[in-house]
Amino acid sequence: MTTELTFEPKIVAFVCNWCTYAGADLTGTSRIAYASNVRIMRFPCTGRIDYNLVLKALEQGADGILISGCHPNDCHYSTGNFHARRRWVVFRHMMEYMGFDLRRVKFAWVSAAEGAKWAEVVNTTVREIRELGPATEYTELHRKGVA
Amino acid sequence: MSALQVQAGELLASGKAEVVIGYGEGTRGRVRPVFVRTRADVSLLVFDGRCTANLTVYLAKPEVGRMGKAAIVATPGAVRSLIQLIAEHQVDPGEVVVLAADDDAVTLLTDPAALEAYAAAHPVTIPPEAKAVTESLARMSAQERRAFWDAELSRCFKCYACRSACALCYCTRCITDMNQPQWVCVAPHALGVMEWHLNRAMHMAGRCVQCGSCTSACPAGIPIGLLAMEASRSVEKEFGAQAGLRCDAPPALSSFAADDRESFIL
Amino acid sequence: MCSDPGQNMIKSAIKEKNLTGVVVAACSPRMHEPTFRRACAEAGLNPFLCEMANLREQCSWVHPRTDATTEKAIDIVSMLVAKVKRNAPLFPIKVPVTRTALVIGGGIAGIQSALDIANAGRQVVLVEREPSIGGHMSQLSETFPTLDCSQCILTPRMVEVAQHPNITLHTYAEVESLSGFIGNFTARIRKKARSIDERSCTGCGECVTACPIKKIPSEFNAGLGLRSAIYVPFPQAVPNKPVIDRGRCTYFQKGKCRFCETKCPAKAIRFDQQDEILDIAVGAVVVSTGFTVVETSFFPEYGYGLYKDVITGLQFERLLSASGPTLGEVRRPSDGKTPKNVVFLACAGSRDPAKGIEYCSKICCMYTAKHAMLYRHKVPDGDATVFYMDIRAAGKGYDEFVRRAIEDDEVRYIRGRVSRVFERQGKLVVKGADTLLGGQQVEIEADLVVLASAAVANPGAEELAQRLHVSYDGHSFFSEAHPKLRPVETNSAGIFLAGACQAPKDIPESVGQASAAASKVVGLFSCEELTREPVIAVVNRTAPPAYSTCAGCFMCRSACPFNAIESEEIKGRDGQILKTLARVNPGLCQGCGTCVAFCRSKAIDLQGFTHEQMYAQVMDLFA
Ligand SMILES: Cc1cc2nc3c(=O)[nH]c(=O)nc-3n(C[C@H](O)[C@H](O)[C@H](O)COP(=O)(O)OP(=O)(O)OC[C@H]3O[C@@H](n4cnc5c(N)ncnc54)[C@H](O)[C@@H]3O)c2cc1C
Ligand code: SF4
Ligand code: SF4
Ligand code: SF4
Ligand code: SF4
Repeated sequence: MTTELTFEPKIVAFVCNWCTYAGADLTGTSRIAYASNVRIMRFPCTGRIDYNLVLKALEQGADGILISGCHPNDCHYSTGNFHARRRWVVFRHMMEYMGFDLRRVKFAWVSAAEGAKWAEVVNTTVREIRELGPATEYTELHRKGVA
Repeated sequence: MSALQVQAGELLASGKAEVVIGYGEGTRGRVRPVFVRTRADVSLLVFDGRCTANLTVYLAKPEVGRMGKAAIVATPGAVRSLIQLIAEHQVDPGEVVVLAADDDAVTLLTDPAALEAYAAAHPVTIPPEAKAVTESLARMSAQERRAFWDAELSRCFKCYACRSACALCYCTRCITDMNQPQWVCVAPHALGVMEWHLNRAMHMAGRCVQCGSCTSACPAGIPIGLLAMEASRSVEKEFGAQAGLRCDAPPALSSFAADDRESFIL
Repeated sequence: MCSDPGQNMIKSAIKEKNLTGVVVAACSPRMHEPTFRRACAEAGLNPFLCEMANLREQCSWVHPRTDATTEKAIDIVSMLVAKVKRNAPLFPIKVPVTRTALVIGGGIAGIQSALDIANAGRQVVLVEREPSIGGHMSQLSETFPTLDCSQCILTPRMVEVAQHPNITLHTYAEVESLSGFIGNFTARIRKKARSIDERSCTGCGECVTACPIKKIPSEFNAGLGLRSAIYVPFPQAVPNKPVIDRGRCTYFQKGKCRFCETKCPAKAIRFDQQDEILDIAVGAVVVSTGFTVVETSFFPEYGYGLYKDVITGLQFERLLSASGPTLGEVRRPSDGKTPKNVVFLACAGSRDPAKGIEYCSKICCMYTAKHAMLYRHKVPDGDATVFYMDIRAAGKGYDEFVRRAIEDDEVRYIRGRVSRVFERQGKLVVKGADTLLGGQQVEIEADLVVLASAAVANPGAEELAQRLHVSYDGHSFFSEAHPKLRPVETNSAGIFLAGACQAPKDIPESVGQASAAASKVVGLFSCEELTREPVIAVVNRTAPPAYSTCAGCFMCRSACPFNAIESEEIKGRDGQILKTLARVNPGLCQGCGTCVAFCRSKAIDLQGFTHEQMYAQVMDLFA
């Protein structure tokens, strides 16, 4: 019980430069506090985010993933997020088909003005992942692999 | 002489083809690919229930390219893969004619429109074993599916027969062969195998024509084609694009519609 | 850190320690990345070897002072150190610029852009689809809010275009294709056969008088007047040279006539003239193809265009115009009588989701007030009634203008939508609800009904957008790159928008945007070369026989929002094609990286955010 309470998940966020990254900057300038479990990786566009990087992060020990970019129609490059969305639909489907827990990979649109939303999205993600406990599916595979 | 042999002979005689890629008798009752270049050799060609391998894999090989204009004996699945190869700019439709074989009938297809009509008239058939596995997977919980794939994939020893059998695995360099960065662990252990097959499935999304060749090729008896087929079916279901039906189809995964449905993004 | 002493610290560290990479752990890169990269460059380090770790906005400002926060800070710095180790020096991309602009569409917006660019000393090629430039403004009578005569202020501009040494004008011409990229476009222009030798024609008009086919509805008069088969659209046309409408000309249809030819003193008629195709090199494009209005036939509730005395605002402009079919007297189309009761319907079609036009056409409130006012001036004993939803008169002098219509010219404004216009005993009846009187039904008999019909995109706008590779919205208006901050740019670098092709606009707005677009073009043309950020995608090259790990599948092409992906043929010594590869056009790529994530064989990579750099960051996080 106590271990569960003290479990601090490690979350990797893959975000686009123009909306979510800027939104997270705004969270900072607005001094809205949120959970420190998240590590942000900056990409030019959600379209650039490679599912292999997500997979690597999970295998290496991330307990949760957060993927975030501009709302539809707001993409700095106009359509990168639409392309990304289609790719994530299929990726999630395949993860599910192979029996992986989809609850560990979260998606959110966060605009450059949604500093408060960013804090909320991170807090919710951390809370939910904390409830799920440490991720084992991938590390298990990893362990089997090295053994 | 069978109808296939007659037609192949005519194509070679008229110069419409310089090589006929087809099936011939192999050893131990199995069929093997044959490359027939003279009329005299058309007697080597056979076509029956054993002929399931997708011969269009040979079209992209430079050695085959050097033989000149090709005629290819194709199952309906192979016809679809040829259409997909044309859509992906890998085969020039002017450089190949098709002897589409299905049971006893042989149809000569010489242009994209004919290929498309043939593909439309011969829908995907799923073998009963694959259907049974798909149905049982649908009933499983996530953990059971995880366990299922873990068990199946534990037999994979990364021989890449599935990749070689697939006409659409034509990349100049496969992601598994890259080491900078090492996207896929080399070893055939649980992690490396999962990475390999998840990547192959993602790469096949919207492209797999469900010919079944990869499954037939797997020496470990893994129903490996299910993954690629599932990825393609998901694209079909979500975005309405089916692979292998149109020679000018845009790439399904790298296009989008502004109103693509999705319910998981906050 | 960003202060001078801070920057100097970095600069001296680079020099003293021979640094090959710098991570500045401070604020957001969105804030000061340029500052620190510049500092690095000043110290002789390639600026792209500098990265920023965001410890302020994304760490210290949002987390309390705890060990967990410190751990996060360490992770952030460490990830960027892992990245920077794999950064490569990048160099700005130089692209030569052809300093000639193409302006498509010669309405007031196109005219303004062309003149501004030409006056800045640059060459302009202006392409207009119709036989004359002028656009809708040439059809207007007087213009709000000042009521100056439209032709009087427009004609001098049109003439200036024709005479400007830096402007080449192609009327009766269209852009067939546009290839290339910013600074280096090639436009293919089709000059439709005018059937006239423009150089010999003196514009005397003898041919027009001679033409026996005279009953063709005049486009310029919005169908209310007639023209001949050989015609000049209006007296002030530029160029003032006729054109033969081949679809209507007896000679082209039946092989006999050529009356015009016999009457032409300059021997300028050319029945055998062919369309001419011109390929011209341009460095920038201004798209100013304007808009159109929906016709009365669009409205089943207003009689489907069957009632002759239900007309559009544009037709009413022609009735008001001194050069119009009635020489400026308001006479109704059915019997030529002066209407004593005119009802104006604002928002005809606009702001009506059921009609597929949810937006406000923006110009109608103002021109309806103008119409009612001008009508009252011309027919002082006539009654003018306006049905409106809201009055949108935001603009300098605009609200005052509407007030004047209501107060001085006694135009009756009724707030409500008109549900039907129908005929009763030979009279038009307008039926609507007065929402200010609690939705009370009103019926008004009218001699003439004028619809402020919705402003919509030109038919064929999508096709043109596709030809130019610019995007368009759900209503086929062309899309600006950013609704607020880049309102005159498109997503295709080097292509700009002006006027009502982007959204309905009035003249001052169109002209303002046109000048803005022109200043963008002139800015672009201020240097012989343009410099672009090197954060772009590149397709790898390897030794033969592969040449690249790109397989030429072109999945990346449809992913690119900017059409930056082209194909490149690798040819052998004897010229045979060995392989077809993707190639990124550095002039078009904006560096989003969408293509990169789609390439199965990772043959395409994004400089500054490479596979290796991003992979290293993930791996570092868990090392
Ligand atoms: C009834 C009415 C009354 C109005 N009254 C006023 C007023 O009083 N005051 C005011 O400020 N505004 C008024 N307006 C608005 C005004 O007409 C517009 O603001 C103005 O015409 C917009 O100019 P433009 O150059 O963008 O478009 P346009 O005037 O539509 O010009 C576009 C030009 O591009 C050409 N073109 C189109 N497609 C192509 C192609 N593919 N290739 C080449 N050329 C092409 C067209 O032939 C045309 O010459 C009124 C509008 C209407 C409908
Ligand atoms: S053919 Fe079978 S064993 Fe070989 S790599 Fe493919 S799935 Fe693994
Ligand atoms: S993945 Fe398998 S079933 Fe799909 S096209 Fe390739 S070989 Fe055929
Ligand atoms: S870069 Fe990749 S996606 Fe693009 S054509 Fe080449 S192999 Fe295909
Ligand atoms: S990085 Fe973006 S803009 Fe550049 S080629 Fe790739 S998809 Fe196009």
